[in-house]
Amino acid sequence: MTYEPIWGVIIACYLFLAGLGGGAFVTSTFLRWRHPEAVNMIRIGRVIAPVVVVIGLVLLMFDATAGFHNPLRFAFLLTNFGSVMTWGVVFLGAFTVVAIIVAALDLTGHNVPKWLDIVGAVLGVCVAVYTGCLLGVCKTFPLWNNALLPVLFLVSAVSTGMASVLLTAIVKHPEEFNSVGVLKKFHFCLPIIELALIASLMFITASNASPAGWNSVMSLLAGEYLLPFWFLLVGVGLVVPTALETWLLFFSPREFEESRKAHLISAASDAGVLIGGFVLRLLVLLAALPITMVVPWA
Amino acid sequence: MARYGMLINTKKCIGCYACRVACQRQNGLLPDENFIRFEEREEGTYPSVSVEHVPLQCMHCEDAPCAAVCPTGAAHIGADGIVAVDQGRCIGCLYCMAACPYQVRVRNSQTGAVDKCRFCVVSAHESGTKSCNCVDACLTGARIFGDLDDPDSEISQEIARTHAAPIAGDLTKSKIFYVR
Amino acid sequence: MSENMMTRRAFLGASAGVAAAAACAGGVSAVSGAQAFAADDAAGEGVTRQVHTLCNACSSKCGFTAYVVDGKLTKVIGDADHPYAQGVLCARGYGYTQIAYSEDRLTDPLKKNAQGKFEAISWDQAYAEIAEKVKAIIDENGPEALAMVQDPRPSGKYYTKRFMNALGSANVYTHGAACNLSKEAGFTQVIGTGNYESDVENSRMTMFIGRSYADAIRPSSVAALQKAHENGARIVLVDPRCNNSVAFADEWVPINPGTDMAFVLGMANVLITRGLYDADYVAENAVGFDEWASYVRTTCTPEWAAEITGIPANTITRLACEFAEAAPAASIEPSWRGAFGCAYANSGETARVVCLFNTLLGCWNQPGGALLTSSVSAGDLDKEKFPSVPKPEGKLLGQDVYPLALSGMGSNVYAAQAAKGGQIKGMFFYNSNMAAGYSNTAYLAEALGALELMVVVDVQMSETAQLADYVLPECSYLERMELPEFIGGKVPCVALRDQVIERVHPNTKSCDEIFSELAAACGVGDYFNFTVEELAEAQLATVGVSLDDLRRAGTISFPEKAFAYGSTPKWKTPTGKIQFTSEACEKAGLSAYPVWVEPEVMPDAAAGTLRLIGGKQAHMSHTQTANIQDLMQITKDYELDRVWLSTEVAEKLGIADGDEVLVSNECAEGKARVKVTERLNPTALFMPSHYGCSSPDEHTAYGVGLRQMDFVPFHIEPGYGATMSQEALVTVKKVGA
Repeated sequence: MTYEPIWGVIIACYLFLAGLGGGAFVTSTFLRWRHPEAVNMIRIGRVIAPVVVVIGLVLLMFDATAGFHNPLRFAFLLTNFGSVMTWGVVFLGAFTVVAIIVAALDLTGHNVPKWLDIVGAVLGVCVAVYTGCLLGVCKTFPLWNNALLPVLFLVSAVSTGMASVLLTAIVKHPEEFNSVGVLKKFHFCLPIIELALIASLMFITASNASPAGWNSVMSLLAGEYLLPFWFLLVGVGLVVPTALETWLLFFSPREFEESRKAHLISAASDAGVLIGGFVLRLLVLLAALPITMVVPWA
Repeated sequence: MARYGMLINTKKCIGCYACRVACQRQNGLLPDENFIRFEEREEGTYPSVSVEHVPLQCMHCEDAPCAAVCPTGAAHIGADGIVAVDQGRCIGCLYCMAACPYQVRVRNSQTGAVDKCRFCVVSAHESGTKSCNCVDACLTGARIFGDLDDPDSEISQEIARTHAAPIAGDLTKSKIFYVR
Repeated sequence: MSENMMTRRAFLGASAGVAAAAACAGGVSAVSGAQAFAADDAAGEGVTRQVHTLCNACSSKCGFTAYVVDGKLTKVIGDADHPYAQGVLCARGYGYTQIAYSEDRLTDPLKKNAQGKFEAISWDQAYAEIAEKVKAIIDENGPEALAMVQDPRPSGKYYTKRFMNALGSANVYTHGAACNLSKEAGFTQVIGTGNYESDVENSRMTMFIGRSYADAIRPSSVAALQKAHENGARIVLVDPRCNNSVAFADEWVPINPGTDMAFVLGMANVLITRGLYDADYVAENAVGFDEWASYVRTTCTPEWAAEITGIPANTITRLACEFAEAAPAASIEPSWRGAFGCAYANSGETARVVCLFNTLLGCWNQPGGALLTSSVSAGDLDKEKFPSVPKPEGKLLGQDVYPLALSGMGSNVYAAQAAKGGQIKGMFFYNSNMAAGYSNTAYLAEALGALELMVVVDVQMSETAQLADYVLPECSYLERMELPEFIGGKVPCVALRDQVIERVHPNTKSCDEIFSELAAACGVGDYFNFTVEELAEAQLATVGVSLDDLRRAGTISFPEKAFAYGSTPKWKTPTGKIQFTSEACEKAGLSAYPVWVEPEVMPDAAAGTLRLIGGKQAHMSHTQTANIQDLMQITKDYELDRVWLSTEVAEKLGIADGDEVLVSNECAEGKARVKVTERLNPTALFMPSHYGCSSPDEHTAYGVGLRQMDFVPFHIEPGYGATMSQEALVTVKKVGA
């Protein structure tokens, strides 16, 4: 028997975009704190956040076919507060509203109150954590049902959020890009933490009492998903960005760091982080096998 | 009120799929909408082998994870203790499918909503139907349906006699009992 | 609760309620469920009709009650009175009802044009053109150049034969040569009849050879097996594959496929050498025992059999002794297609040995033994209304070459050979997918392609229909009434396939209409001046039943004709005895008493060859069921189109469960996924028999799985004329390795 995953590419996109949006907002708030002069980059984060989250929500509604055909049913979404998804709706809704207000204020030249930025950042973190909790409460899937996943998704969300802001800045405002050293150093750390989290997730899932855990991990490390896992997620998404940034931050001459070539290298590294972030969501969705009653899924 | 449940004796199951197709046809389901899922286990080595067929369907859990995670309240436990899906509320997010430990919920490929075994006899009970379609269809009498709270019911007696138990122990307080 | 939910629940409640009410009333009255159904179908009257009819998913033709609401079939429930259904149906019974509503139905008569494409024509044109070609063939080559192949159905077997005989041809073949011909012909040589029934449920021991009640389901058989098991009977499965009947069996004997005959001979040796057989019974009822016994005694030792069968000698000895202990409440079950219906060069002879072994047990007509039950058939009819068709002058083609083939079946593969050789010019097919299932498919396509006229009557575009010049669309079994079906058994009975729903496609016709009208066009319409209802009424009158009564009851039994235990059957053999020796067999070039016959080919582990064996699955039995969505979905969900390979061989070849493998031999090659299992004899590769559809117009079945008969060479069993469906060797290797 082969197992047919419940969720696929669309939900992976949604999880990725929701995390990215939350992360982008957090990035803006972080910049306001440590690099208040980088006004353009702050704005970039504030614009990216609502746009990608709304795209993600549209994808989500599209994937929920029965609701998509009967949109009024979405009104029922706030009935069961025992459901993580209901909380997700609350967080996403609130975050989207705040993010849109913040973006509107910024784009119209108004000052964004600090408290609103903080509220948005907190909601952004909630959204990112929620995407992990959504899967985490499904007891049947050892790959999901652990406390590491929400943390991993949070780290990945912030990482992809920062990458999206940095990447856009390289194109639009390279001079500001050169000036945000603290952000870059912070961003540099995240893939390393992710690597540690993914390794832990693999070890812990594989040792689950059910063969489903072992089979899920093996499908990633040595099975069906071997190539995307090692090449796209670990390679392109984590190791290559870390290597490139290590070189740029610690081993290259300062003049080179601000050259156009260095920008291209940074851009490649950030693109890698974005690819890795999406592939992570997709693989976590596809590779997870449920615990079975009698015979394990292959 | 009765607490409905089912007993499935896998020692009598020959894995013939009659229950599945009867359920689909008699309930007017789509060809790819199947409420009964089978797991088949082969044990032993050639030539001393045995094979076990285990039909799984909605266990009508008293701790129903599907109802717990359903954001719209479509998946719910009815007044009669039967886990139901209100087709008019379901948005098709499939969260219940991910939460169900038994993987016995299916998405209707036409409506996008989720559905599963409804213990169909109960909705027909008032009209005096004999039993669920799967129970009626079973060639070997491997299935018994009835009131778990009635100590004199066939199902209660058979559970006592065979020491039948839910497939996953106390996981969700399932109301389908298995003889294995 | 939503509106949707309400209607669904109301609907369920109502339909079940109607069923219950009807069951209580016990009649065929129309029950109104107006209120309840109004919700589901506002336009309808909400009236439920119940019709007793017969299933058509396999040859068992189980009786069921169809519930029809506003003209649409909503529910089917097996008839408790029907001897095979006993109140339930199998998966196929529920699923096959969907054929009526299938999008792949043939809706109009089709003619193949010069470009090889089918175009719709009128019935009149079809009849006129076919009749013209029939007459031309008769004029030029005589009526013996025409032939019919049909898989017997209540009306079909009557009308096809009458039609051919009226044209002057005796060439009416059943599917038998690709099903149960060897078995029935072999039995006939020994006991004078083609079948018997093992009294499984009352037995102390029953052995199944290659047959699995749980995989080729007749509900009554499954029930009998279960009862036997629960009563503590010893149930032994002799099969290269540990089939699903093992749920109710005590032992699986994993025999090398093709060697069942040696196995039974080995057991016979034990009975004879140890004096464990019923000597009095043999002396009283049989001829030729001594000759056979001396052969068996000297040659067929358990050690000899062990060498051939792969079953240890002590197992063979033990089983024989257990049989002797259980006798006469014991028998070898007659099987059907299974291991010796048409599978090997020794199938007919295996069948003989099986009957002889049962004779040694003295179990004929004993409780728990092998029963020759009674039957009832229609008597003589009014000659005015139903004139007899003169006996054709020519003999059934192939009868001289394969004299042991039963005349009621004939060797259809020989007919294909005759078509290829130009002896047969025109062929009709009814309810038969010969091209996909009877022998090597490439050979059959070529042979049937050589015909001047090929007419196929079917409900969907089978592979055989693809080859035809004319395809005539029959309405499905739910849309037609057929002749009464007489069923033998402990209590013989008669049942009726009645029309359940109106014709979904108005331009389709029933088998009786098609052949009557075709006969008229061919100028022999005088033999068909009656309706199917008139004929049914007349046939039933000869047994004292009216058509109305049968319609009301679905099944009517004849308790006065019931079988009685303990009687000695009347042996309808030439000698009037059980024949250990047969003159006919000797004349056909075989041994007078059955001696071990090697299969035509044997697998060779060193060369990496495996014997290709096939079989049914509980939800699939024929190419026709493969095109049913509900049933095919099961195959897809559980990948049941996989070929089975033993763990031992798989490990040797580096093949893992689920791998894609290439199956190949001199006839064909194809890719399939593999199920690696401990449930298979390592000399075999198992391939489910009904997949690999190559007709693109059968959208559900098309392209799923491999087709067993692609790999089987065209050849014919000596003497018996069967297709030898398992005389094929294949090799497997992992794709990409």
